[in-house]
Amino acid sequence: MTSTTQTTAPAGAGIAPAPAGAARLSKRQLRKMHSTPKHLRSNLTAFLMIAPLLILLAIFVIWPLVYAFYLSGYETYYNRPAEFVGLDFYKFVLTDPLFWSALWVGLKYSLLVVPTILVLSLLLASFIKTLSGKMAAILKTTVYVPAVVSVVLTGLVFVFMYQDSGVVNAFVGMFGIEPVAWLNNDSTVLAAISVPGIWLGFGISTLIMLAALLDIPESYYEAASLEGANWFQRTWYITIPMLKNVFLYLLVTGFTLAMQEYLIPLIMTNGGPVNATTTTNLFIFNQFRDTSAFAFTYSITAALILFVVLGLLSLLIFKAIKSDKAVDG
Amino acid sequence: MTGKLLAVKGIKFLFGLAIVITSLFPLAWMAVAGFKGKSEVLRSPFQFFPDMWDWTNYRQILADPAFVRTLWVTFAGAVVFTLLSLFINSMAAYAFARLDFFWKPLWWVVALMPMFVPGMAILITSFVVVSKLGMLNTIAVLIIPGLASSGQMFFLRQFYLNTPIAVEEAALIDGASRWQIFTKIFLPQSKAPFVVMGFGSFLAYWNAYVWPLLTVGDNPNLLQMQVYLAGFRSERGDDWGLLMAGGTIAALPTIVLVLIFQRYITTGVRIAGMK
Repeated sequence: MTSTTQTTAPAGAGIAPAPAGAARLSKRQLRKMHSTPKHLRSNLTAFLMIAPLLILLAIFVIWPLVYAFYLSGYETYYNRPAEFVGLDFYKFVLTDPLFWSALWVGLKYSLLVVPTILVLSLLLASFIKTLSGKMAAILKTTVYVPAVVSVVLTGLVFVFMYQDSGVVNAFVGMFGIEPVAWLNNDSTVLAAISVPGIWLGFGISTLIMLAALLDIPESYYEAASLEGANWFQRTWYITIPMLKNVFLYLLVTGFTLAMQEYLIPLIMTNGGPVNATTTTNLFIFNQFRDTSAFAFTYSITAALILFVVLGLLSLLIFKAIKSDKAVDG
Repeated sequence: MTGKLLAVKGIKFLFGLAIVITSLFPLAWMAVAGFKGKSEVLRSPFQFFPDMWDWTNYRQILADPAFVRTLWVTFAGAVVFTLLSLFINSMAAYAFARLDFFWKPLWWVVALMPMFVPGMAILITSFVVVSKLGMLNTIAVLIIPGLASSGQMFFLRQFYLNTPIAVEEAALIDGASRWQIFTKIFLPQSKAPFVVMGFGSFLAYWNAYVWPLLTVGDNPNLLQMQVYLAGFRSERGDDWGLLMAGGTIAALPTIVLVLIFQRYITTGVRIAGMK
């Protein structure tokens, strides 16, 4: 492409009609005309402003991630150089029954926590929506309070509550049930540790759900009421379909977070009894605490597998939400 | 009619009360347990309030030099961490929202990608990195690695994108530099997002457990609050009253902050959820 002919003049640029001499401008000058004017560019300032963030992220997030992928291909030894083993460690992890059982524990835990949070937060949000300003404000703050308590402290408080003569057993005792060793019993321990998980998470879900509820135009409900729809019909035909995207958002984020939970079982049961609460990340964390070189690479690889699987899953679901939104538009 | 209205109000009140109790019971139970003596704290039959309010546990934990030092060290660290992270993230947010520079899309991807990397995937190699940098068992390892936050930067950039551009253009014409515009025009109107973000940073630091456990575990001078709490039972056995008293004090800073800034924070959650 040469700039000698009239046709290459920047006619389609949408700026003011080119002056007569424009045709003779060089390619470089043309590009200059189209990019941001020089006085508005601020390379130096901009780089100084983003540098701290980018450098910190590069050192403490991006490099460790790259390094993790790199290490997962090497068998390390203490007494001789590391040896490239390709995807061997991925095979070790994926054929390890302990990894799969930890994945299964994490899945069961998530299935206890996430649906409960979703139903609970829909109920609470619908209720708070009907309240007057002051009551609503009080409840909004109240349900958010558990979310700022640390996982460690929450775990300890619930261990205290689950003691043999603790408050939970006192409560079930009112219904004539004998005291249960909640955390030492295969059949109760997972449900027992899911309660603090739910308690920590329902507040934020409720606030997000409430915001979504308030975004539904009131006129939809008025029209439905005029047609004689009762509360259940309005919920089923208006609220739930309108909340679909928020539901999916909370489902995906809640699920990916719950699948990665390990602090609650670490504090409350240390994975026991007999691995009944060893979630995937707790399994990985325990491998890391094991000091052998094999366990070190093994835990890195397992963490990467979980990250890739969960990442792909949420990406797919979010893609589905986005395209759906466009259709509804 | 008024009877029915009163009934509805009563039901609403009871339902609201149930929500408050569910949300706050574990915390209230913790705080009250701190007022109970050893014989009373796990006594059967169950009784919510102690027979006699006993300050012994609170007095004892506040007289423990390790606990008090942990409290202050963690608090000071959290404050420094919050201020530095606000500075770094807001600066980058402004640049990405308003400035034009070389390869901006590339830098944007680099800055945003870390949001999707879960902690566990990089926990081990981050540990290797900080130990190679000689940061283990120093205050730096608690503060520096977590300062840059893609999520917070993104959140603030959205806020700056919605800020009207006219004032800024006028200032530019008057000869103000970009830095002056950022500090004199943008920072003063960032109070609401700064409260939300700063609270998030404070919370992340105050509630951190695994990272300080791994990186400063060998330095008792840098003992962090959650590590102290988690290690309490193995150090002193099941002295539940004392532990619950310590836990109550440890939970206070974040709860007080929520109560002070409740209006900003509850709307902040809403914005973050809708992004």
